[in-house]
Amino acid sequence: MAADRGKIQILKDALYEAARDHGSDQRLFTQRDLLDMQVIPQDNLALLMQVIQVLCDEKLFVGNTTASGLSWRWRSREDAKKYTSLPNPETMLVYAIIDEAGADGIWNRTIKNKLNMADSLMKHCIKYLEQKGYIASMKNVEHPNKKMYIKANLRPSDRATGGPWFTEGELDTAFINELQEIVFDFIKQKSTYTSHGGAAGTTGGQGGGAQREKVPKKGVVQGTIPSHSEDVSSKGTKRSAGEISNDDTAAAAAPVKKTRPSKPQLLPLPAGYKSYPTVSDIAKFIHHAGITNNTTLSEADIQQLVDVLYYDGLVEPVKVNGRKGYRVTRIPKQDPRTCNQRRLDHDPTKGGIITSFMGVEPSASGLMEAPCGRCPVFDMCEEGGPVSPSNCVYFRQWLDGDEVKEQVISI
Amino acid sequence: MAVIKEKAEFCTLLVDELYGQLPARVYATLFQRGKLSTRLISQFSKLSPRQVKNGLCVLQQHNLLFYSIDANSGEAEYSVNHEYAYNLVRAGKILEMVDNSYGPAGRDVMQNLLLLGQTRISDLVAAYQAKINLANDENAWLNDKKPDLVIKSKAQLNSVLCRLIEAELIDVVHSKTFKSVHEIEKQVHKEVMEFYFPNGMKGTKAKIEFEQKVAEGLRKVREESKTLKRKLAQNGGASKRRKLAVGNETNGAPEEEEDLDPALDPRQVIRINYEKCIVELRSRRLVQYVNDTLGETTGYVYGQLLKQLTKNTPRCRPDPLMDTLMSDEEKQTPSVTTNEILDKVKTSIDLTLGIGKIPSKSISKTAAERLTPLAPRDKIPFMNQDDSDDDDEDGDYSDSDEEMDTKKENGDAPVARMSRPEQLRQHLLRLAESQPGFVRHCGEDEWTIDFKPLMENLRATELDSIIEQTSGRQGLRLTRILRTKGKLGEQALQSLSLMRKVDLQQKMLEMRLAGFAHTQEVPRDNKADPKKSIFLWYCDTEQAYSSLIAKCYATMVHCLQVLEVRRQKEKDVLSLAKRTNVKGKEKDMMRDESYARFAKFLKDERLLMAEIMRIDDTLALLQDF
Repeated sequence: MAADRGKIQILKDALYEAARDHGSDQRLFTQRDLLDMQVIPQDNLALLMQVIQVLCDEKLFVGNTTASGLSWRWRSREDAKKYTSLPNPETMLVYAIIDEAGADGIWNRTIKNKLNMADSLMKHCIKYLEQKGYIASMKNVEHPNKKMYIKANLRPSDRATGGPWFTEGELDTAFINELQEIVFDFIKQKSTYTSHGGAAGTTGGQGGGAQREKVPKKGVVQGTIPSHSEDVSSKGTKRSAGEISNDDTAAAAAPVKKTRPSKPQLLPLPAGYKSYPTVSDIAKFIHHAGITNNTTLSEADIQQLVDVLYYDGLVEPVKVNGRKGYRVTRIPKQDPRTCNQRRLDHDPTKGGIITSFMGVEPSASGLMEAPCGRCPVFDMCEEGGPVSPSNCVYFRQWLDGDEVKEQVISI
Repeated sequence: MAVIKEKAEFCTLLVDELYGQLPARVYATLFQRGKLSTRLISQFSKLSPRQVKNGLCVLQQHNLLFYSIDANSGEAEYSVNHEYAYNLVRAGKILEMVDNSYGPAGRDVMQNLLLLGQTRISDLVAAYQAKINLANDENAWLNDKKPDLVIKSKAQLNSVLCRLIEAELIDVVHSKTFKSVHEIEKQVHKEVMEFYFPNGMKGTKAKIEFEQKVAEGLRKVREESKTLKRKLAQNGGASKRRKLAVGNETNGAPEEEEDLDPALDPRQVIRINYEKCIVELRSRRLVQYVNDTLGETTGYVYGQLLKQLTKNTPRCRPDPLMDTLMSDEEKQTPSVTTNEILDKVKTSIDLTLGIGKIPSKSISKTAAERLTPLAPRDKIPFMNQDDSDDDDEDGDYSDSDEEMDTKKENGDAPVARMSRPEQLRQHLLRLAESQPGFVRHCGEDEWTIDFKPLMENLRATELDSIIEQTSGRQGLRLTRILRTKGKLGEQALQSLSLMRKVDLQQKMLEMRLAGFAHTQEVPRDNKADPKKSIFLWYCDTEQAYSSLIAKCYATMVHCLQVLEVRRQKEKDVLSLAKRTNVKGKEKDMMRDESYARFAKFLKDERLLMAEIMRIDDTLALLQDF
């Protein structure tokens, strides 16, 4: 028997090492797999049983029951040591369950339900394990009120922490907003063309043609929309503006009247532009800029951020040759300054609460301009009712300014 | 046809505002009770038959009524033509549009038609003739300044009328104009039955044939109002007439003997064709939209393109009954070539503007010039649009890897100068690449517009901007997520929107109250315990549109009501201003205080009317374009 024990001891070590060579600690080995490792002589099943039993006793193997029968996976020697050092089987059970939950952690109520253990006993076990530094309590963003435990040497999974957007279990909106602005500025810069409006704004005969060749820091100067006469002279066309038939003054009036002083303006890029920034470009930019020094953002994270910008109606995807890039929307209306610059330039005393410095104001619609568009009692408003257009305060304010502040409702 | 309450109310108020209380009361009765004979109208409205007749007369003159003769009693029965009544609010916009495209003379004619309602051509000519004679009569203007007439001669009037008729902005009144669509349909049905199927019809084949015949018949009725246009076309194009008109103008002296075009039968009665006007208004709106998204030069190009494509578009939305059964070739959407557009672009427009200059190296020609010969299938807007994008291009994907840097480094390289057609193409290509699909590049150098999906997109954009204004950008984010992904639970919504749970719940509640978002309860088991149920958020875009439409009408009603209240308040001042010795010289004749009140009222009136116009912009987009 002693010889047997020695033999099993050797076989056990050999089998353990063989299993470690054949896969990670997540791989499940069936009986067939273990036999095929050629460690147990002559496929002796009884001997294999004995060896596995010893390994399980020493916590080096973990048994599993799957649909196809029993199977085992190996556990590292250090972990096994932790198990064997535990004082009683209850603590061991608790530790095993927490261990199994992995990086997601486990709720203490779940442990109790699974083990059907007395409350005080379980608390005792957990206290012991925490003192030993084997487990740690953690917070899960999905269930912030549940007390959860995790193996001390594991980092909580992204699902539990909520990914990079969470700081200590809270959604870090300031961080997200800041990052969004940066991403938005990046897309804006890369997907538009900055025109410095030379042609339109310059006086003294510098037409669009002359200015066109000058080169600012990025791209080529491009006039906004020149006035009629300037344009005609610079292009040398023979016809004068007055000769045009009145057929299309409607549409023409719009482009012509724009003679803004030289102010940089953003222009759309021609169709088929190949370098609209993709998500990976943005990720690379964020990485190189070193803005997020203690969090690493994967492309999927950036994708999430860009998607939010898309849902906000600030950027739109554009596919060129199967490459999905992004560009900002409503380019001519965009402010060429960066978000941060706009924030610095903004004068809070001038009124108007600006919630976001990204993008443009929504295009005005008539409905919203009327007091009714934002009226809180719109549904009740009717002639003859307590609230009616004839005694409407909002209309009075709107038409008369703030001067009238009479008594409002007189029923 | 059912009309929503707000619209009925608005139309009645509008009639009140424009034509006075009597017609408005008749109109209100008709809205409430449906089809009525004069006897019944007077019974319900408590007006004397004589008053009712006067009211009906005014309404009829402006084409605001339909009537039919009841076969049994032989009495005429009247019902409302609410589309026309509503269109009255667009008068200002239509005049502006005509002014822009046909000059002040065209506007003047249109304005008169608006004021007079349907008019016999001879009457219109006579009215103008009287004015012209008066203006030419030197004795009449000894002391006063001679008024500057927009239309100086009969010939000019003739040419303006011809142009407007050719553009279909004016059409002819015929016997069926005063029949409601339903009535006409019934009649055509009957005629077809009698003529083609005297023995009744059997089987599906006959049914299809029947439907085709009915559609044909209806189309014939519709075409009847275009008789003048056809006649004009037979008598030679507009160019010939225009030459004549210009010749007269330069001569200065109006030639009295120059008569009307023989095709313009003086007995014909003409009116404004709102359907076509709305098409023109739609084009204007689209140009605005392009200005907003891509810039003004591109917007101008788009305007030219639209002008050519919609030349023969009689209405924005094809009639489901009449236009679906048309043969395929008739159905085909028109397209124009680059050169056709180039011919219309003014030489003063610099087409190099409005699009960024980058070296051609960083542009993929194949992607830019990609043709999409087929119109997109109907799809639900926002539902994963980019997924269905055809990825068939094997593409030069690799070469785009030089990326970003190229732009920076080669930015200084001189950009090759493009020819003018090429510049124009750049704008058109950019339009074709745009997200809402302004233009479809349907063939080599051929361009077309698919209005249906485009307008759907535009509607969604309008809704978005309204949501953004009511619930902020976060509200917009949430609705757009729901629209793209369908129904979602709160957890999923939270992770997609990157919003805090509290903020999210508050925002969703806000939008639920505003009617932009809705919840659905999905019970887990038979007990339907609300604690265990799953709650899903979703957006019903169609419902949002219809509630928005109702809200628009209601707001317009409120504006008119407020205006009326103001008018009552300043009654004394207004009656003073109406006096003949005060009229026109209000500032001198009235006391300062009264004048201030009068001026304030005028300002308010302008503001409220402008507001109504602006709401109509939204409304037109949602239901008419």
